[in-house]
Amino acid sequence: MKLSTLTLPVVFALAAWALWPRPSGGAAEVAPSSNPANVKYVIRVAPGFYMPDRRPMDVGKPLQGLNEVAADFEKLYPDTRIEFVDVPSVREWVVTQLAAGTAPDIMNINVEDVWQDVQKGWYVPLDSFLEQSNPFVPKGSPGSRQWWDMFKYQAISRGKAAPDGKMYCLTLDMIETGIFYNKSLFAKFGVSPPKDWVDFLRIQQIFKDAGYTPMLVDSGAIADWGMDLLFDQLYDQLLPGIDLSKDPKREQYLQGYLDWDEICYLHGKGYFTKDDARYLETFRIMKDWRRFMPLNLSSVDLTKEFINQRGPMWWSSSLSVYKLARDPDMAFPWGVFYLPAIPKSYSKYANGHPMCVIGGSATQLELSNSAIQDTHDVRTSERLKRCVAFLQFLCLPKNTDRVVNEWVALLPNIKGVPVQPELQPFDTILKRQYGTTKWMFTFDLRFDDVYQRMLELYLNGGVSLSEFVGWMQRDIDSGCSTVVRRKHLDLSKFDPVWRSLAPERARMEDLPHAP
Amino acid sequence: MLRRAIRSLPLYAILTPSLILLAIFNVAPFVLAFAASFFDFEIGGDSRFVGLANYVEYLTNDPTLLPSFENLLFLTFFACLFVTVCPLVVAKMIFSLKSERARYIYRLMFLLPVVVPGIAGTMIWGGLILGDSGLVNETLRLLGMEGRGWLSDPQTVLWALALIGFPFAGGINVLIYYAGLTSIPDTVHDAASMDGAVGLRKFLRIDVPLVMSQVKLLLILTIIGNVQGFEGLFVLTRGGPGFKSMVPGLWMYFNAFSFQRMGYASAIGVVLFLLILGLTVLNMRLIRSSEDLQAATI
Repeated sequence: MKLSTLTLPVVFALAAWALWPRPSGGAAEVAPSSNPANVKYVIRVAPGFYMPDRRPMDVGKPLQGLNEVAADFEKLYPDTRIEFVDVPSVREWVVTQLAAGTAPDIMNINVEDVWQDVQKGWYVPLDSFLEQSNPFVPKGSPGSRQWWDMFKYQAISRGKAAPDGKMYCLTLDMIETGIFYNKSLFAKFGVSPPKDWVDFLRIQQIFKDAGYTPMLVDSGAIADWGMDLLFDQLYDQLLPGIDLSKDPKREQYLQGYLDWDEICYLHGKGYFTKDDARYLETFRIMKDWRRFMPLNLSSVDLTKEFINQRGPMWWSSSLSVYKLARDPDMAFPWGVFYLPAIPKSYSKYANGHPMCVIGGSATQLELSNSAIQDTHDVRTSERLKRCVAFLQFLCLPKNTDRVVNEWVALLPNIKGVPVQPELQPFDTILKRQYGTTKWMFTFDLRFDDVYQRMLELYLNGGVSLSEFVGWMQRDIDSGCSTVVRRKHLDLSKFDPVWRSLAPERARMEDLPHAP
Repeated sequence: MLRRAIRSLPLYAILTPSLILLAIFNVAPFVLAFAASFFDFEIGGDSRFVGLANYVEYLTNDPTLLPSFENLLFLTFFACLFVTVCPLVVAKMIFSLKSERARYIYRLMFLLPVVVPGIAGTMIWGGLILGDSGLVNETLRLLGMEGRGWLSDPQTVLWALALIGFPFAGGINVLIYYAGLTSIPDTVHDAASMDGAVGLRKFLRIDVPLVMSQVKLLLILTIIGNVQGFEGLFVLTRGGPGFKSMVPGLWMYFNAFSFQRMGYASAIGVVLFLLILGLTVLNMRLIRSSEDLQAATI
């Protein structure tokens, strides 16, 4: 063989050796504690944000917290092994796995997505477990009476009960959004975080005139967070006249939250249509704000734009703290403020009350139908007992601390676990009042899809306000008919309440002319 | 007859596994999808027979039907135009090089980008080229003009999508045309030269008709690819803003896996199948290959 024919393979081999990933120095290897021969139950957990051995956002060291917790748990339950699986967080994947009965036993899914499918028996309600004591908690500590007592943000956690009254998720931590702002640019232009919406727009105009993209945000955030905040600003005052359902279990936490059945009923009365002045006003405000956003509303790397100082403000979640705090290209100090209230001077339907909470539960752990695959019966399943025990064990303060505080991104929802200093602003925001409704989680995904794409078209000048609201009207009609059919809802139950609230509505201005 | 059949048995035995796999993975899903199109069902939910209701709804009451087929027509037209012209011109230029080594190097150069996954290329276009601070907008700003949201603007989104892949001289297509050009006998070139056909005239009158088999193949593949494929659109625009870049295949995907309307999605799939079938037959009938041309002249 000639030397030249050998050279190339040798070079490739050397290059492969040089580039081969080395085990990270900081990552502690956690040996499986259970003897494989004794393992009777392999519990598959899809933990979402805390997937062990993965570097969140490709920054920092690989996570190990859950590995350590699982190892400790396996010592207590030698017949059980915890296996972590990294799964796509898309609903398409989850739905097919659940239908086939092959989903992980414990999964992190937005519970509002879960609500869509609870009637199919894909999820195990947690109420009976949450209402009992957590056996791992010492007597006298939160959780020794009721597991529920361990959770710090009670309103948000309990507010995740499904409209069928059952609780399908366990909220391990919280996420909140905020406006990240570039303190250097703010100082350079002599501005500070805004006092109200008018001031907010004024600051953005200053940056726009200087050639910046003032508000880094994408269409998804506008459709989801933006809509819910603006909706709350304009509709909150109407709640005494339109809040039709006073669920004793959820009302004390959700303070008038409008569920899908209430939205459907109100829609039938002319709300959220072209006859609803507040509905039109919501989208007018959004369009007015659009001029300060990126040209492309759906395909811009906002993190990069913020770090490269092309935009002084970025609406993002607490997850971004981790990235910003560790990005090597970060060359300026930054802070966080929340969206300011809309004053009456800007919109006649606003009253200047503070913007509501838009974030909430981050890691929402559900038990899937796989957790009862041994007996297919919640009462007799041993596998289910192990799954619940693992969740109870995870909720111990020292375990939650090991997992949630391993990276600075989310706020622990267990009492006694500290919030990291960088996340304090979000902790303050989370104390605000809960929103009036969450539009993106009200109806099916078809509604969301049509709403989101038509909103983007409207914001980009592709359709007029009246055309857009026409689309929305048809979209809500379709969403309502689907949810009524799937959930077998009887909206006529609201008729007496509707009539009883008539005097309240009589005191309100510009309501749709309901029959 | 029996002896012949017995003699062929080993051949059937060799073919059978492939036929079984083909039946399981290609034919059965098609038959199931066809059957599913007559039902209203969601994954894990109730199912009920609805006859032709899914077809009626799609063809008469779906707001995406017209815009999505218009978009598909637009994108397919440009894709066909580019696939017909650009790689052929590049192949001809390479073929015309005198040095065999230079031809080899150019062929290699045009083929190399094939190793980049298509979706990665699409994302590069979306972020680095058409993004807010992408190549196009920064160039415009350098020239004192305003940038645009190419993929968000309803007036530009389709044009931006159609032009992704510029200069459309993708490796495989160039090679297919190159192979076609090399198969033209030297005697044909010599005869054309003697008759005074040179340059562009020779290219249009001699080369182009004799690579019509390749044109036909690429056109069919492009049409099928455009009708079936939607991954680029999914990544870049998800068919938006609004339905400005929606295509039927993408809408079928959304209905099946996002909205869980499997029966409805199957009906869209059957409509697309019929469309592809029709277009392929049309293509076979209308475009004459080099073999057809040769047969006609004999």
